[in-house]
Amino acid sequence: MPGQLATPSHTGYAVRTTTLPSAAGRPIPPDVLDRLRSIVGGDHVLVTDGDVEPFARDATPLFRARPGCVVLPATTGEVSAILRMATEHGIPVTPRGAGSNLAAATIPEHGGIVLVLTRMTALKEISGDELLAVVEAGVTTAELADACAAKGLLYAPDPGSRTVSTVAGNVAMCAGGLRGLKYGVTRNYVLGLEAVLPTGEVIRTGGRLWKDVAGYDLTRLLTGSEGTLAVITEVTVALLPMPAVARTGVAYFDSLADASRAVAGVIHDGIVPATLEFLDNRCINAVEDFAKLGLDRQAGALLLFGDDGTAEAVERSLSLMASTCERIGARGVTMARDIAESDALLTARRCSLPALARLAPITMLEDATVPRPRLAEMVDRIDAIAVRHNVVCATFGHAGDGNLHPTIVFDPDDGDARHRAEAAFSDVFDAAIELGGTITGEHGVGAAKRPYLERRLGADQMALLRRLKAAFDPAGILNPGKLGS
Amino acid sequence: MSEQPAAAPREIFDKDLLAACISCGFCLPACPTYSITKLENSSPRGRITLMRALQEGRLDEDDPTLQEQAGLCLGCRACETVCPAGVKYGELLEQWRDHQWRGRHTPVLAGGLRAGVRITPALIAGGMVRLAARQTGAADPTRPHVMLGCLERSLYPKVSKAVVRLIPEADVPSGQGCCGALHAHNGNSVEAARMAAALGDAMPGTIVSTSGGCAAYLDHQLGHGRVQELSQFLAARWEADPSSMPPLRTITSRGRTARVGLKDSCQLRNGMGVTAQPRALIAKVADYIELPSAGTCCGGAGTYSMLQPEMSQKVLSPTLEQARDLDLDYLVSLNVVCHRQLVAGVKRARLRVKVIHLAELLELAL
Repeated sequence: MPGQLATPSHTGYAVRTTTLPSAAGRPIPPDVLDRLRSIVGGDHVLVTDGDVEPFARDATPLFRARPGCVVLPATTGEVSAILRMATEHGIPVTPRGAGSNLAAATIPEHGGIVLVLTRMTALKEISGDELLAVVEAGVTTAELADACAAKGLLYAPDPGSRTVSTVAGNVAMCAGGLRGLKYGVTRNYVLGLEAVLPTGEVIRTGGRLWKDVAGYDLTRLLTGSEGTLAVITEVTVALLPMPAVARTGVAYFDSLADASRAVAGVIHDGIVPATLEFLDNRCINAVEDFAKLGLDRQAGALLLFGDDGTAEAVERSLSLMASTCERIGARGVTMARDIAESDALLTARRCSLPALARLAPITMLEDATVPRPRLAEMVDRIDAIAVRHNVVCATFGHAGDGNLHPTIVFDPDDGDARHRAEAAFSDVFDAAIELGGTITGEHGVGAAKRPYLERRLGADQMALLRRLKAAFDPAGILNPGKLGS
Repeated sequence: MSEQPAAAPREIFDKDLLAACISCGFCLPACPTYSITKLENSSPRGRITLMRALQEGRLDEDDPTLQEQAGLCLGCRACETVCPAGVKYGELLEQWRDHQWRGRHTPVLAGGLRAGVRITPALIAGGMVRLAARQTGAADPTRPHVMLGCLERSLYPKVSKAVVRLIPEADVPSGQGCCGALHAHNGNSVEAARMAAALGDAMPGTIVSTSGGCAAYLDHQLGHGRVQELSQFLAARWEADPSSMPPLRTITSRGRTARVGLKDSCQLRNGMGVTAQPRALIAKVADYIELPSAGTCCGGAGTYSMLQPEMSQKVLSPTLEQARDLDLDYLVSLNVVCHRQLVAGVKRARLRVKVIHLAELLELAL
């Protein structure tokens, strides 16, 4: 980790005390505050210690930094005016949606302004004819998906935090989720963006077209740019017709490695199902404590498999997957009886991470991803790393995508537990890269994985990232210190 | 803006309770105040961040945001039901208000109410004047006891009289005080626990409460199983022994079977997990219509409607709109404070729907 490490406080909660350059810890000048108030109205500029404290952190453990102020604009014009002024005064700006990201990407490490987009909540358009929707930045993923579903349309990206996270936040982080294998991730559905450059210009990239090669693909560049290049204010997403049927089943195995072999078997059979998720024994028990679905607490691993489409196709796909699981040596296979039971299983899977918080005060999770055929090998490596560093690790993930979420739980009062966790994750990243994988599949780099990014990209690409950053943000005000810096 | 601690760390909150939250934010969409403000500060996660800052000395004890948010939280505990980490938010809120509302910091109205309902003879006199259910002397441990509630016996005395008709063998012991829930939710959990224990001692055996808030608090204080909320008690009893159920006719209104909605009591729903029973009981006597906001707080929330009138009405308004749009004849309450809030809201909005306690609705069917 860069800078000084966080020091656990007596409350079992760590306070980050990184030495920061620039505006960190410095108040915003009064004339700047006055201008901010004149742009968005006095009620939408928060400055007191208490009012800004909740914005000192997001969903990432062990990171916190208090901003100088919090500004909540309601229009793209307001965002533009704020950014132009911030560039003029050299004040850092950290964009934020619902603050559910897991990479400390919205921690204002350099102080300054936290720009919160939750007031921009208009669902502008859902078009069944054009199969697209247009929403403002602060609409939540679930609100968009529900509104589409009501019109018989599917917004496919399905991140675990969908009820909380905002669409623009998903785009900024290129969120993944539970439907990655068959449907891809957020980037596969972004048709166009309205975004504000740090210098105040409003740009519209892409649009309503499936085919459009006029210029560099800035839509893709901004997707996953983690708020370092521009502030996304409006998103146009592609939709699909809602599949007629969706069904889910559960298979139990003795180990995560066995479940991984079943995943390989399913793909080998030529099936690309909508859902292939797995949980190890610790995750099964934590989830069962919360969701009380009657999961097999003794099993070493659970594989959640599901598919959607026409009734016949789904029937065929599920029975093939079930028999593959049995052939690989599943201890038991059960099918959800109805939609409610399917939904309950998927909801339970989505809450794996917070449910693991029941085990210890700190849950540090990672996001290493490997090519699918290397999944079982990666699972074994993670087990060995956990033993070597003497850490308690629970693993779940999007097995179909090779996307793993090894989660180390610990008590910060337990001596060097945090350092052991960090050393273990460093080894996990190396193992993933060695197997042809990456340090983060869907959570992003943020402040949390910044130290490991060069291992994945190499020096030349890091330098290119910085040149791109400079082209977008000459004053370096937007989410400074993040992504490639 | 300083990142330096404003003061030494404090021991206000139970350390393990505070550490349980990992700030995932799953609670945000469940929180009625967050859905109105869309501001992190008025979300459960934001409030827990504030509690941590208080505990760790990063915020001054008199910080205005701490004061404001300790009061702006409804205490409805809807966040607990969606929290995969199992954070006990209700307990944290009690600890927060114990500290935040100590001494001179107590909101005047909360302090006044706390003091008022502590005087048992005054409660008894109020109940007698308003002709609440007749008191039957000392408690008979073999019979279920009807708890009168400190406010209900004076405000809505017909409720306990209806209960006695529905449960003929129930007794209504004399000398009942307040259960303490109001104190626990308003910054005095020590006094509250003492009051709950005293009430438990005065009524050995099963206690039947007509208010979800009292039932949930007593259930927590006296141990699971001692206390049952009315719908819980009736549903279990009538199922176990159908002969104990009186003949119930269908309630009509304007020449049709009455359309009846329900407003859950938050403490009952989120604290005790009781949701099916009141719905099943209403369906026995009328057309049950589920309001989209049935499970969301009504904004009554103990003393909240008095302390935070503006937010209280914002929280209530969707329910009133839905009751009108769904053309309800009756809106059933399960708690005295909800009842008061709904009656006031319906009157203000000049709606046709009649707010009625579950006991009174069932009595109409006798």
